[in-house]
Amino acid sequence: MSTGSVVVPVPDETTRRTLPALTATSGLLRLEMRRSVMLWMLPLVATLFWFITYRPSMAYPPLWNVRAMSMQTTALSVFAPTVVGAAAWLGWRERRHGMTDLLIGTARPRWSRQLATWAATTCWAIVAYLGCGGVLYGVTAWQGAWGGPLWWPAVVGVVSMPAFAALGFAAGVLRPSRFTAPLVAIGVFLALQISLQFIHGDDSYWQISPLVAGPWEIGPDTGVATFYRYLPDLPIAQVLFLAGLTAALLGTLGLPGDAGGRRLRRCAAVVTAAGLLTTTTAVALAGTGRLDAHGMIAIPLLHDEGDDRPLRYTPVCNHTPIPVCLHPASAGYLPSVTAALEPVLTELAGLPGAPVRISQAAARYEQGPDNRVSISRAGPPTSGTPQVFHLLLPHQTATAEFVAELRVDALQSIVNSVVGGGRNASPAQQAVTEAILGTSTLAPGSPAAAAAQRLAALPAAARHAWLVEHVAALRAGQLTLEQLP
Amino acid sequence: MNVEIEDLTRRFGRTEAVAGVTMRTGPGVFGLLGPNGAGKTSLLRMMATVISPTSGRIRLLGRDPGQYGQRREIRRRLGYVPQHLGYYPRFTVVEFVEYFALLKEMPPTRVHHAVAAAVERVGLGDKATAKLRTLSGGMLRRVGIAQAIVNDPELLLLDEPTAGLDPEQRVAFRALLRDLGQRATVMVSTHLVEDVGAACTEVALMDRGKIVFQGTPEELAARAEGTTAAGDAPLERGYSAVLAQART
Amino acid sequence: MTGGETRHRPYVVAPGGAMRAALRLARLHLDSRRVPAALAVVAACAVGLRVALRWQWEAYGALQLPLIFETGCAVAIAVTATSLLGEPERVTGRWLPLLRLSTTLALTVAAVGALAVAGAGAHLAGGTVEVLRNLAGLVGIGLLCAALLGGAQAWAGPTTYLVISLYALYTQWHGPALTTPWLWPARPPYDLGAAVCAALVFSAGVALIAVRGARDTGPETARSG
Repeated sequence: MSTGSVVVPVPDETTRRTLPALTATSGLLRLEMRRSVMLWMLPLVATLFWFITYRPSMAYPPLWNVRAMSMQTTALSVFAPTVVGAAAWLGWRERRHGMTDLLIGTARPRWSRQLATWAATTCWAIVAYLGCGGVLYGVTAWQGAWGGPLWWPAVVGVVSMPAFAALGFAAGVLRPSRFTAPLVAIGVFLALQISLQFIHGDDSYWQISPLVAGPWEIGPDTGVATFYRYLPDLPIAQVLFLAGLTAALLGTLGLPGDAGGRRLRRCAAVVTAAGLLTTTTAVALAGTGRLDAHGMIAIPLLHDEGDDRPLRYTPVCNHTPIPVCLHPASAGYLPSVTAALEPVLTELAGLPGAPVRISQAAARYEQGPDNRVSISRAGPPTSGTPQVFHLLLPHQTATAEFVAELRVDALQSIVNSVVGGGRNASPAQQAVTEAILGTSTLAPGSPAAAAAQRLAALPAAARHAWLVEHVAALRAGQLTLEQLP
Repeated sequence: MNVEIEDLTRRFGRTEAVAGVTMRTGPGVFGLLGPNGAGKTSLLRMMATVISPTSGRIRLLGRDPGQYGQRREIRRRLGYVPQHLGYYPRFTVVEFVEYFALLKEMPPTRVHHAVAAAVERVGLGDKATAKLRTLSGGMLRRVGIAQAIVNDPELLLLDEPTAGLDPEQRVAFRALLRDLGQRATVMVSTHLVEDVGAACTEVALMDRGKIVFQGTPEELAARAEGTTAAGDAPLERGYSAVLAQART
Repeated sequence: MTGGETRHRPYVVAPGGAMRAALRLARLHLDSRRVPAALAVVAACAVGLRVALRWQWEAYGALQLPLIFETGCAVAIAVTATSLLGEPERVTGRWLPLLRLSTTLALTVAAVGALAVAGAGAHLAGGTVEVLRNLAGLVGIGLLCAALLGGAQAWAGPTTYLVISLYALYTQWHGPALTTPWLWPARPPYDLGAAVCAALVFSAGVALIAVRGARDTGPETARSG
């Protein structure tokens, strides 16, 4: 030890006041960030994100809506326990390291010191979240997804980070123990998961959970925010809730007598009260939500009518005899749709009643009893002269299921529009429909099934030629099974 | 007077750790001696504004630590090394001292220089970027002293500061205390009477929460004259004599 | 040390046989590991599970809920591996490994029992067999983390594994399903591969903790409450 005195004068009051307090705070924050335990959690978070959010998202076609919503749903499931646990661990730090006496004796108010630690955790969590989101969004843009990124789910995700950190940190400070970090991490995870189970209908207060990115029952849906804007109503309520929760939790830390001066504690009380008020308001707002026809939760008080206007787009079409035109966001599905429809469309092209074009229709969402949501085609199946068939893309993303559902729904309607009959189809109409679709729904061994097999065995060109000649009579219900080739 | 204490008491449940202490002291090195459980640490913690007194009056650096604003002013001018020094193992020596400099609300522009100076003064310049978890017990003690002196305190409170220091470091530390004592009030609680003899200008001896002796080290040593008090050195004998007298 | 007169009768440890000494040692060891607090957490998890099972859950929720409570018990057991005493305790005699082993096993058995009782008479997805398998595996992960990272950080492993397992469960409904036996909570209760994986992890964790104890992470170990 040296006695060579390097005198560091204690600043007088005037000097101190003139110096920017911000520099000191940023110095503290820099130190906290450099040694934050959250920094060590980043590789873990990144790995979990890759495994649970990124990898499954890449299995979907590049759709902004699905990928953006996954940044709010599955990504937050990854971030919640890790951020909460790390923050609780840091909240317990002073006690764990026996620093309490040493730190009480310093001039900076305890609340201010705690906020610096919380802010460092939050900064790393946000950096991690933005990094993960940046990769997912970057890859989605690189894959050529139509439209632009949906920011609201990411905003909810970012605002969740301070809230999660505040939750964990407050628990760690208020109940310092070796059990706190694990239990609060798992507890928050449990609470988030359980809260979803309580969502019943579009007016549920539980929709305020940051894990909810739309009507809970249908989850990230390919039809949402495609023909219409992504409604910011529920995200705004969620952001309010999270901001309020953060303020209330952090404010609570400033309330005890030893947290700081009277003015500071008054400030903490105001922050706590404002936080609680905001949280309550946000929950109440979420409870007034209604599922709108476009699949999003609309909150009357926050709703902007301008968001209900349809988005402009130029459809993407294939070159089948009856062209199939999809919304550009769904362009990734065009090869599957073409593969599923082309054989039948080739056979029906040019026949009376056959559509001249197949165009993707917007979905119409309707809230059913309890938690059910029905999704149907918005508008009639066909319109205009010459006729255009409006195709509702199935929700399934796995190719096999997607094609199967297309065959059941779309092709049945298209063939019916040519062959006629509908529900009261004649045996001949049923047989022709079965032969064209290649299905086997008729009773095996029945005359209609036999006729269908006979017709299906013909080459496609021969069947088309027969249809050209007899389709008018077939539509009129004038043909019998015996008259089929 | 930097420290003015009048009839100060502190209770922990039924135990009266400090029982009516009165003391006034200005700049200089003040030794606080006493057996285990005498109340030295409780007295220092009250002076460090960590705990508040149960009763009595205390003024530090001319201010009342009971009032928040004045307490904050005291803390800006205070250095404190507790008996059990806590630390964050992942911090480096410089980061740890800088952390306290910022918490003591030093002007940010002076922090860098002050931290470097404090680390040098405790002889840890070559370990400045070492993580605390890699340091020996004695080095950690010096880190604790560095954080206490980083703001060049007007009141420096040291609870068993030489525990774990090797003889060479202890000698250097005493020199540092003498140097600091020229401008500030340095209060050292210790069991080691040789520290008191070498560094302190004034000494108080506590027993069962009370100050049973206050004077110079020489006066303490003189209290052994004419007694059969145990001890290998005059101060030790004085210490034993005062204690024995206080207990009869 | 003062040479003053002794005023109080010195405290004397009551004499007794080997059994009494062993019991006293066990009690002191359990206290040092905060086992009573861990048991309280286990009991709270069991009560939480019981309450949760009173509601009707959809299939996914019914599988995910017990797993979360099992993880709660597992982390409570894993963090008890932290020693408050550090090196002085490590250099003591042969009893310490046995004490660590029996503490871990006893806590695991208590947790399985508590969760099984909580699920009795209710629809506990997977039944007691699944509780045993999942909990043992999770405890094993926690103990391995305690041995590698330190007892107080032992929770990180089971919590991470919980998130991955819940995703694996989710993929059973929304494929492609993850079917590796190393993700045992996503396998049926009587799946042999999953049971073997969980048992291996549990055995490795228990063995490591019994022999080496939780990693000493410095001064914080002594102060972790």
